[in-house]
Amino acid sequence: MKRFDYYQPESLKEAYQLMEKFKGEALYVAGGTDVIVRIKQRAIEPEALISLRGLKELRGIKDNGGLTLGAGTLFRDIERYPLIAKEYPALHQAASMLANLQIRNVATVGGNLCNAAPSADSAPPLIVLGAMVVLEGPGGKRKMSLEDFFTGPGQTAKEPQEIMREIHIPEKDANTATVFLKIGRVSQDIAIANAAALVTMENKVCKRCRLAVGAVAPVPLRLKGIEEKIEGEEITDDLLQEVEKMVCDAVSPITDVRATKEYRRTVSGVLVKRAIAQAVASLEG
Amino acid sequence: MRKVISFTLNGYNVSAEVESHKMLLEVLREHFELTGPKEGCGQGECGACTVLVDGYNVDSCIYPAFEVDGKSVVTVEGLLREGNKLHPIQQSFVENGGVQCGFCTPGMIMSAAALLNENKDPSEEEIKRAISGNLCRCTGYVQIVESIKKAAEMI
Amino acid sequence: MNQLRFVGSNLPRPDAPDKAAGRALYIHDLKRPSMLYGKIKYSEYAHAKIKHIDTSKADKLPGVRAVITGYNTPEIRIGFIRDNFALKRGKVRQFRDEVAAVAATDPEIAEEAIDLIKVEYEELPGVFTPEDALKEDAPLIHEEDPRGRPRKDNIVPVPWKFVSGDVEEAKKKAAYIAQGHFETPLIQQSCMGTAGCIAEFDLQNNLTIYTKTQIPFLAQNDFNRALAAMGLKGKNTRVIVPTLGGSFGTGLDTHAYEYIAILLAYKTGRPVKIVLTREEEFTALSPRQPTKTDIIQGCDKDGKLLFREIRMLLDNGAYTSWGATTPSVMMLPISSMYRVPNVYYETTIVYTNNTFCQAMRGYGNPQATWAIESNLDDLAEEAGIDPFEFRMINRNVPNDITPMGLHISTCGHKECLEAAAEKLSWKEKRGKGRKVARGVGMASLFHVGGSGRVYRSDGTGVIMKLDDFGNVSVIMGGVEMGQGLNTALTLASAEALGVTPDKVTVVWGDTATCPWDVGTHASRGAFTACNAAIMAAEKARKKVFELAAEHFMPRVKKQLEKRKKKDPDFEIPDLDYERVRDPSEFDMKENIIFLKEEPDNPFLKVALEEILRAAHFKQEGTMIVTEAFYDPCNEMIDPRTCKGNLSATYIFGTQGVEVEVDLETGRVKVLHVVAAHDVGRVLSQQAIKGQIYGGVIQGLGYALCEEYKTDKGRNLNPNFLDYKIFSAPDVDFPIDIECIETIDQEGPFGAKGVGEPGLVPTAPAVANAIFDAIGVRIRSLPITPEKILAALKEKAKG
Repeated sequence: MKRFDYYQPESLKEAYQLMEKFKGEALYVAGGTDVIVRIKQRAIEPEALISLRGLKELRGIKDNGGLTLGAGTLFRDIERYPLIAKEYPALHQAASMLANLQIRNVATVGGNLCNAAPSADSAPPLIVLGAMVVLEGPGGKRKMSLEDFFTGPGQTAKEPQEIMREIHIPEKDANTATVFLKIGRVSQDIAIANAAALVTMENKVCKRCRLAVGAVAPVPLRLKGIEEKIEGEEITDDLLQEVEKMVCDAVSPITDVRATKEYRRTVSGVLVKRAIAQAVASLEG
Repeated sequence: MRKVISFTLNGYNVSAEVESHKMLLEVLREHFELTGPKEGCGQGECGACTVLVDGYNVDSCIYPAFEVDGKSVVTVEGLLREGNKLHPIQQSFVENGGVQCGFCTPGMIMSAAALLNENKDPSEEEIKRAISGNLCRCTGYVQIVESIKKAAEMI
Repeated sequence: MNQLRFVGSNLPRPDAPDKAAGRALYIHDLKRPSMLYGKIKYSEYAHAKIKHIDTSKADKLPGVRAVITGYNTPEIRIGFIRDNFALKRGKVRQFRDEVAAVAATDPEIAEEAIDLIKVEYEELPGVFTPEDALKEDAPLIHEEDPRGRPRKDNIVPVPWKFVSGDVEEAKKKAAYIAQGHFETPLIQQSCMGTAGCIAEFDLQNNLTIYTKTQIPFLAQNDFNRALAAMGLKGKNTRVIVPTLGGSFGTGLDTHAYEYIAILLAYKTGRPVKIVLTREEEFTALSPRQPTKTDIIQGCDKDGKLLFREIRMLLDNGAYTSWGATTPSVMMLPISSMYRVPNVYYETTIVYTNNTFCQAMRGYGNPQATWAIESNLDDLAEEAGIDPFEFRMINRNVPNDITPMGLHISTCGHKECLEAAAEKLSWKEKRGKGRKVARGVGMASLFHVGGSGRVYRSDGTGVIMKLDDFGNVSVIMGGVEMGQGLNTALTLASAEALGVTPDKVTVVWGDTATCPWDVGTHASRGAFTACNAAIMAAEKARKKVFELAAEHFMPRVKKQLEKRKKKDPDFEIPDLDYERVRDPSEFDMKENIIFLKEEPDNPFLKVALEEILRAAHFKQEGTMIVTEAFYDPCNEMIDPRTCKGNLSATYIFGTQGVEVEVDLETGRVKVLHVVAAHDVGRVLSQQAIKGQIYGGVIQGLGYALCEEYKTDKGRNLNPNFLDYKIFSAPDVDFPIDIECIETIDQEGPFGAKGVGEPGLVPTAPAVANAIFDAIGVRIRSLPITPEKILAALKEKAKG
């Protein structure tokens, strides 16, 4: 493993200055569960790491009608936050299924999103919850929707000097449920496919629907076309079967060491179908 | 680059000058000559290196040493009681078949310690989730889960 | 039968406290003064000529003390047909070929030095399947054999063939026949503690090597041969085995990295440590032998098996090691599991540029049983007979000699089948769960239980040394790798000798001080060591009683006089203090010697340690050290016919599994596992449960998710991220264990081996359960969701 310098800035300003100094040879790191592992695998060889761990302004969960998560919030804290388990179950489920306990004790939601693996477990729930991310750099802050944040496998709209500051989730409508599902080779695994669904129901009709899948396209994918198909309809078994087929057509998975693209295609449809059905059922029950 | 890190290790205030690219596991094993935390994979997958940092069980093989400055670290050695007596969790592993080759044992015990600090009466499912990041190839986990359950009763 | 006090108890492992305290020292924890760190450079091609190796930059790196290649070190040939080399010269034949190595003062410097070594290759076309390697125009992996004679093809000259009866005739008579092609993949042992060693020479050029091995004495032999190749003929090796972080067969051979450490230690004059990283453990050690099997079995109209024909194709990889001998163990279930009068078995073993394989728990048995037991269910289906009934009709029976010449003595096959069926609720569930995609399946195993004679000696020596305090050192040549050998030996020794387990210390792991043992493999550890211990204990008891004959009554008298001094009112009883007693009058239990005639007389009890001290601390004193060398009554199989009574006794077992299949995702959910094993006798409850639970979980991994993936010889998943083994949350179903005690005559206290059987029948039991659940037969491992969905799709079409 190549040696690297390790800086622990005490302010965002200091972090930007360090990043500027290293001009592309440094990486921000939070929990390190992606970056450190890739360094050890010799996949990357940065000259320096700039740790965001000490920056308190990146932590904290604020309940302000909607939800604001500091990008430095640990998955362990998301998993244990009662309000999230109650109001945003898909996010809770994703946080509790990500990797394993030791990883969740240091990994951050911002790190998971900025690492931008197509299989990132926190992405589908946050997308369906309508999350906006706040990026900040020496030039100031800017906001964008999470779906627009991902631009390719491991690639984001974030500039090198920018950090992710926080994630805003808008206030939830009444009669709304969310579900996150994931499938791996065994119980602890990188997702072969994952999916999240949000439904707002009114008199047995789906008023609003949001769907997202991961690990089956270059980025975590929002399924706009399928959402439109569902909105305004009753969620019948026939509709769900149709949705399943549409998902299979909408995704563009690859074959890798974990799964074949055929399997990912098939299973992504099943997950979306089940996520919707479970979300609807949780409102009825 | 180098830095002097100061932290508490198994209850004692300690310090060490370490290089910036070193992980906590290496510092514990090389500088402090501890043999409990082990390198099983070096990539945060197997949990053989599990230690407690500020009470949380973490993989020390991917935990940058610089980050432990000002924190408290507990390894399996830190559980040992005065007079060379095993901690109830360690004792339970011994009595209930939780130890076979023993390589995963220190990490497994630290994850159990983190769990029992927080949850005095965990269910079997909660125990399995607590050790989800600790791989074992020998035991099939059954007697490990039993050991942790019985340890909870003992404490 | 006398009541056993310690054997069969739940006494904790004696090595557990140190392990739980983090104090046990594995190879990773050992350091020697002035030790250097070694690192190995591996090939960058699957098949290539080595044109040039430039070590100049590495040589100059500060901290580097030696850089070696196949060109500046003596040639050391390794492997049982000597077709492999410690460091490669001329060409590389697989990605894991060792082409250079470095010793440096710091592991990071060693790593840096490895990067600075530049190797120039000329790539050669590679061969990655045995079928391709058999083609006329296939490139030769080895142009010459180990004797230098030119080779004409890629076939490995280790032929296995077994014939009993007449299979062709039997085919004509069979009422039902089932045929199938079955495959098993490469899988990795995945010990939590990786392999490693520290080699060091003394000033006389004798070698001491601390290493992760299961065969300390065979390793000593291998390393002595290496020393001879290095010009040190006549020098000796001392092999010391530290605490092992699992082994599962990885320690059953000596490895290139060990010879490299030896070469580096010799060159530098300093101890050199090499420890494999997890990635190296995957890519540079040897996985389980993969197999491609064509099987046909047939039975008569009543379901009695008439014949079994098996042809296997084995990918040998680039060099020959134990993978090529797995057929010798596969021979057992193939020829002898269930009563089959006509058997034909033939293997073809072929070199390729893939990784080569060595031993892994079960040593071929899981691979063979996968085919036999899956196909047996297919045959039962053809015959319209319930698979449990089918197995009962054909089950093995006690006191039988099989076509291979195996002498079955005790046999709990019937009891295991019945226990599995009962615990699984077979009658209620079999054939009834199709609507909800649930099913039950079972499979049996047949394995060696009294060692397996694969070497000129199958012996195990034990020395018992008693000290002045009544402590007993039981010194053995086997290894404790987490299986519980030390525990079993402690209990058996205490039981046989008449002392308590806390007085027993097992001493092991040093070829200089421990008696010879062929190796801890073939589930033989407890069987042989405990038998030797019982023999040594008998001798020790004999000596103790001889000493008692002289010293017992005088000690009794002294005890009583002492008591009288303390308590003047005490009446010294009128015993015949002067009568010289005969050794046969004595017995010893729990450290106390007493007279058989009066076991409850409180005055006629003397502690063992008192007798020992009385015998030691006098003129012409004596101390007790006894030894025994137990070599089981088994035989090597005839290499031409493959027949012979390989083991002193055999083990049987049946596992049953209940599964539920998710028809949309193909995921298989295990609902229940039952493991019924004929163990002879339980020596240690903790240890036996650990072995069986652990075996079952490894078996399920083999069945469902473990696969060492390669692409043109390169390993694609050398880490736990992508080589999946079960973690605790995956074990979300009950596992019921039933130990059937058949009390074997040959076994120590009737015990038989139990190290390997736990994972032998699990995979076919799962496949058979899946067939019951959804009516599809998966014939290749692992049974992934992809394969399930593909099979369901096929079924829906046709």
